Amino acid sequence: MSSVRIENVTKKFGKVFAVKDLSLDIKEGEFMVFLGPSGCGKTTILRIVGGLETPTKGRVYFGDKDVTNFRPKDRNIAMVFQSYSLYPHLTAYHNIAFPLRIAGKKKEIIKKRVMETAELLGIKDLLHKRPRELSGGQSQRVAVGRAIVREPTLFLFDEPLSNLDAKLRVQMRAELAHIHNELKITSVYVTHDQIEAMTLGQRIAVLKDGVLQQVGKPMEVYENPKNAFVASFLGSPAMNLLEGKKFSFLSSYGKNKLVGIRPSDISIVKSGIETTLDAAEVIGNEIILYLKLGDNIITVKTKSLKPSQLKPGTKFYIKFNKEKIYLFNADTGEKVKSS
Amino acid sequence: MKRIIFYILLLIATLIFVYPFIWMTTASLRPEREISYLSPLSRNFSFGSYITVFKRIPIVRAFLNSLIVSSSITISVLIFSSMIGYALSRLKFKGRELIFMVILFTMMIPFQITLIPLYVLMVKLGWTDTYQALIVPGMISAFGILLFRQYFKAFPKSIIDAARVDGCSDFGILYRIIWPNSIPALVTVGIITFMNTWNNVLWPLVVIRKTSFMTMPQMVVLFTVGGQAEAQVGVQLASAMMLAIPIVIIYMIFQRHFIASMAHTGIKG
Ligand SMILES: Nc1ncnc2c1ncn2[C@@H]1O[C@H](COP(=O)(O)OP(=O)(O)O)[C@@H](O)[C@H]1O
Ligand SMILES: [Mg+2]
Repeated sequence: MSSVRIENVTKKFGKVFAVKDLSLDIKEGEFMVFLGPSGCGKTTILRIVGGLETPTKGRVYFGDKDVTNFRPKDRNIAMVFQSYSLYPHLTAYHNIAFPLRIAGKKKEIIKKRVMETAELLGIKDLLHKRPRELSGGQSQRVAVGRAIVREPTLFLFDEPLSNLDAKLRVQMRAELAHIHNELKITSVYVTHDQIEAMTLGQRIAVLKDGVLQQVGKPMEVYENPKNAFVASFLGSPAMNLLEGKKFSFLSSYGKNKLVGIRPSDISIVKSGIETTLDAAEVIGNEIILYLKLGDNIITVKTKSLKPSQLKPGTKFYIKFNKEKIYLFNADTGEKVKSS
Repeated sequence: MKRIIFYILLLIATLIFVYPFIWMTTASLRPEREISYLSPLSRNFSFGSYITVFKRIPIVRAFLNSLIVSSSITISVLIFSSMIGYALSRLKFKGRELIFMVILFTMMIPFQITLIPLYVLMVKLGWTDTYQALIVPGMISAFGILLFRQYFKAFPKSIIDAARVDGCSDFGILYRIIWPNSIPALVTVGIITFMNTWNNVLWPLVVIRKTSFMTMPQMVVLFTVGGQAEAQVGVQLASAMMLAIPIVIIYMIFQRHFIASMAHTGIKG
């Protein structure tokens, strides 16, 4: 187990910057999540940490050791891939045993460890099966098993749950959190799913276009986004971002501002700003309203309406919770001040 | 009706194709005076011609020589050509494409052109009348490299990455992960290499003089056209049969893989 230090890492593919001057310290035993939209360089940074890719610039340290030029096999890492990447010719048992066999462990030790791992993941009945006989969820368990069977310095996860259906994803998410609690091995987890990031990450690092935007505990980042991108990326439904100059009722916030407010911080009132209902989604006892204000759509989350009131075209009056308003510079997206 | 005509045509085609083989097999078993008959049947089948062959030439020794040479070359081609095919398809290094072009180019040079320089080399090395002379020049095959390269190109990158993370070196990746998942390619290259080597006559004729190092086809050719067969067709046919049988057996064992892989590479190629 060890801490990880990423120091000014840049990776270029041809002329494309996949990662740009990224620095980050990951503490020993920490569960760090990289969060960002597709194509923002998450996989690339993970592969650089794993040694599958060498950075164009910058260094990577495990503890005090500079591992920038180490091959993956000399880093003692384990990785779970999005596509599972099980060895097609080997049974689940031998897939899990593979890293131990490569490490030259004794047969009895291998057997013991594989059985313990299978027990932990509840896949004992599957051990004799080959990957093509396994379902997605089962394959993912075997892939996780292959990663945790030896005690690596570091776990790397590249969107391991994105190929699973919603229910299985929630279940595996809980299991991964449980496994990390058991083993306490430093983990780097990459995802585009903010819920995964918020629930699994002890800290999250938000990326955009290869540039690190913000690092912090999930709630800190959620409550204190550094810029409009982070603000709109975290939280579901996404935060409303309104250009101040377009709306007279926002003029008090000054010129050239983006005004951000989360859908749950807007309330439906008897009289206030007039909007027209465009569409609505009922999710359990919560309702998401898409309200038209000029040519903008404002998202509102509420519990105070009945489904029968939700006819498109209906007028609704809304009020912003002034305490929960975020202000960003309209040009740079940087936060100006939060109230 | 159409179907019936189709099958009749197929049957005729099959007969035309197979008849020479049947004839050759039975003729080698018939007494000399019956060989010119067109009918494959006879009341006087015997292994006389075969026994004569065994008496006149050390064909068992030649068979073993051929087996040693063909197996060594096949194993070596599988190991080395797949290594090069792997490097050319999965590793990144400067000059990779150039090297590949050069290898492709060597495939276009007919063997007759390199025959003399290669012979001179063998003489300089003092390798004439040795197994090395038969084996070493065939140890790597451009065809094998080409086929492996194409086949390995389609192998999923993430599985190779997984193996790398799990601690494999490039050799580990090739032999533990890619080989077990490339059986059709291995069988194809294996069979074609084995057949080509087994049937090669020209090169052994050039570098081998001593009977004890002769390969089977070389010996059979020398036997049939060199006068030892005394113009007895039955004996010649018997020796030719013995030459063909190992290849037929090997083909029958692997034909399922072989056809599968030909279809496979055909689709991908
Ligand atoms: N091997 C590669 N060759 C060229 N470009 C690449 C390669 N890998 C990634 N990229 C580019 O780098 C950027 C980041 O990719 P990636 O790290 O895979 O993003 P993510 O995992 O966040 O979706 C993308 O623009 C992608 O096209
Ligand atoms: Mg990715």
